[in-house]
Amino acid sequence: MSAKIRWTGAVLGVLGLAMILVLHWMVFFWVPTERTMGVVQRIFYIHVPSAWVAFMAFGIVAVCSAIYLWLKDERLDMAAQSAAEGGILFTSIVLLTGPLWGRVAWGTWWTWEPRLTLTLLLWFIYVGYFLVRASTENPQRGKRFAAVVGIVGALDIPLIHLSVVWFRSLHPAPVVMKPEGPSLDPRMLATLFVGLGASTLIFLSFFLFRYGLERMRQASAHREMAPRETPAPEGAAQ
Amino acid sequence: MDYLRQVNAIIWKDLVVELRTRERVAAMGGFTVLVGILFNYAIDPTVVEPQAIAAGLIWMTIIFGGMLGLGRTFSLEEEEGAFQGILLSPIPRDAIFVGKVAANFIILTVVTALVFAVFALFFGLTFGGHPVALAGVVLLGILGFVALGTLFSAVSTRTSMGDTLLPILVFPLLIPVIIYGVTATATLFEGRPVAEVDGNIRMLGAFSAVALFAGAGLFRFVVEE
Repeated sequence: MSAKIRWTGAVLGVLGLAMILVLHWMVFFWVPTERTMGVVQRIFYIHVPSAWVAFMAFGIVAVCSAIYLWLKDERLDMAAQSAAEGGILFTSIVLLTGPLWGRVAWGTWWTWEPRLTLTLLLWFIYVGYFLVRASTENPQRGKRFAAVVGIVGALDIPLIHLSVVWFRSLHPAPVVMKPEGPSLDPRMLATLFVGLGASTLIFLSFFLFRYGLERMRQASAHREMAPRETPAPEGAAQ
Repeated sequence: MDYLRQVNAIIWKDLVVELRTRERVAAMGGFTVLVGILFNYAIDPTVVEPQAIAAGLIWMTIIFGGMLGLGRTFSLEEEEGAFQGILLSPIPRDAIFVGKVAANFIILTVVTALVFAVFALFFGLTFGGHPVALAGVVLLGILGFVALGTLFSAVSTRTSMGDTLLPILVFPLLIPVIIYGVTATATLFEGRPVAEVDGNIRMLGAFSAVALFAGAGLFRFVVEE
């Protein structure tokens, strides 16, 4: 792993961990309790940043995949794969924290609400991405197949989003990104932004380390494939 | 003109192969009739009125039956090594894809007609009074399904998991077809005005267009060696 990747990854990781600690202090001791939902609303500061990272990661997967198919640069495929691994991790966090909150706030673990459905489908698209990669004997082929899954998934996600929203909407409406400005308490907003920063940094650190690891793996595979320098047998001419 | 001739050649080849072997139509047709029989025992008609869930039943039968045939789009050629020959021919990759989609579309249209006939016969369903709009909804829906399924069938055929991988890749992406297709079909079955499904038809059209163009553009990366 090149020193640059290692150092950047480590710095981002340490910063991200520090922010996670600050976030937890804010979530547990500082931010005011939401009036109607009560204490369970605090999971929001983990849940929403994870969702943001999950979708951002999928954006990276799609962009890197598309350019990979175009330029055939191995590094882009490694970046797409690393982003996908981070992405499925954060998608899993969203899918685990959501029901914990939903059980208290909505009275049910699961409901066919658009954003829930979309996130679950995103998780399955990531699963397909890894299955395709794992089930091909020819690694070059697996990379191309995975890129195709990533691109088609990214093209389809807006359509899935439109259709599931059109079907039914129950999820709390957005409280930050709306035309008349955020309606959150400023302290809640600050906590949310710390959460967004922390999860983005943690993701980028994972991403860099994973990418560096993949490059090392590639380099060692090349080394094994390269012909060994064997000493010339005794008595051989020259 | 040349492009159309090339697409036609692929369609013709696939349909002739299908006519001679009748492998996929037989599998899908048999599946359809058997699912009708199974539904009859799985759904208690004294509790659920079949007409009330007809749209959902029909669409799920089309999708599951269609997966059987779509999964085998390339398998015959792959087993016999014939696909190399097609790739060596001067036909551009996207024309091969469009031809494959069109042939699958024709085959699945036949199967869909059979699904409607079987469900009408077994469950005494009525399909509302708008045959043209209904045909439009169903055909646009299966076009999108076939385009997506053909692309991923080319992927799954070349993996060690084979056909078993296909539903995992296709089903998550198919949600828009199911949502817009089933709601529009249900609306038309109830005999409500066609204007109510305008939006659905547009969205199904958009989905099919995206699936077709994405498939035609990406197909060459799937088959290249």
